[in-house]
Amino acid sequence: MRCSIGICLLLLNFAVHSHEQTPTYPTWKTSGIDGIKKTNIRVWNKRPDIEYYEIGVFEKDLETPIPFVTAYKVIPLAYLKEVKFDIYIRESNIEEARYVCSLSKLRSSNESQTLLVTRVCSKFK
Amino acid sequence: MKKLLIALSFILSATPILAIDISGSVESRCTIADVTEGRYGNPNAYTLTTDPASNGVVPVIRADTTLANAYHLNVSYPTSFSSSPSLSDNVTWTGAVSVKATGESGMSGYHAASTTTNGGATRQYALSVAGSVWIQSTSVAVYGGNRAFPGGTYKAVVVAECVAQ
Repeated sequence: MRCSIGICLLLLNFAVHSHEQTPTYPTWKTSGIDGIKKTNIRVWNKRPDIEYYEIGVFEKDLETPIPFVTAYKVIPLAYLKEVKFDIYIRESNIEEARYVCSLSKLRSSNESQTLLVTRVCSKFK
Repeated sequence: MKKLLIALSFILSATPILAIDISGSVESRCTIADVTEGRYGNPNAYTLTTDPASNGVVPVIRADTTLANAYHLNVSYPTSFSSSPSLSDNVTWTGAVSVKATGESGMSGYHAASTTTNGGATRQYALSVAGSVWIQSTSVAVYGGNRAFPGGTYKAVVVAECVAQ
């Protein structure tokens, strides 16, 4: 009985679709270019309905964007895959940059429903 | 025979032992999971609702955290359609975000301690206990003047975000 419950919980867990980003508290490191710092972020996609995530760097209000450079601002990320990428920012913007967020991008479908947008934000302390 | 046994024991004792390290790390993180996809029921011509009594499905999300007091969870109910047929009249939205279940006893006070923003449409929970919490977001859309919604597909977006504290 206990084993059956365990298997059911395991199956339910596998059926859940999720979005994850680490680290919670990234830090800026030297990039090798004068006046530019970088940090590394990892995003993990366990949502089969999502293929792209948009990356953003924001001030403490979580709305005002901070200019940054990365390989792609909208990252293609297949189901059950993870991506690690560097974010580059000017040293002069470091004081204002408080959050780096990944936002799931939705695809259209043909059913009257509610869709779920997920956003996970790491904080620079 | 004796020599053979001695030789074998030498060979066996010289067999290299391969040690494979398994390493891992535990770090704080927040995972947002889509547990139940929401769907609108249409109890009458001018209403769309996630109420199961009207053939709707209430969307449920789950937030997992591995460290206490590391994240805020913000969940909102929709206040507009993200896609719909052309609508000539206003749509009135109502809804609620609430805790459906908790994985730890210390989470029982989450809803009482939560705050709202965005005119009540967004509710913020301080994830003060490590573990899982299930949040549901109900919504009802009523077309202006009780007129019939035009036929077509209607979509609205629930936003769930984990923000590091």
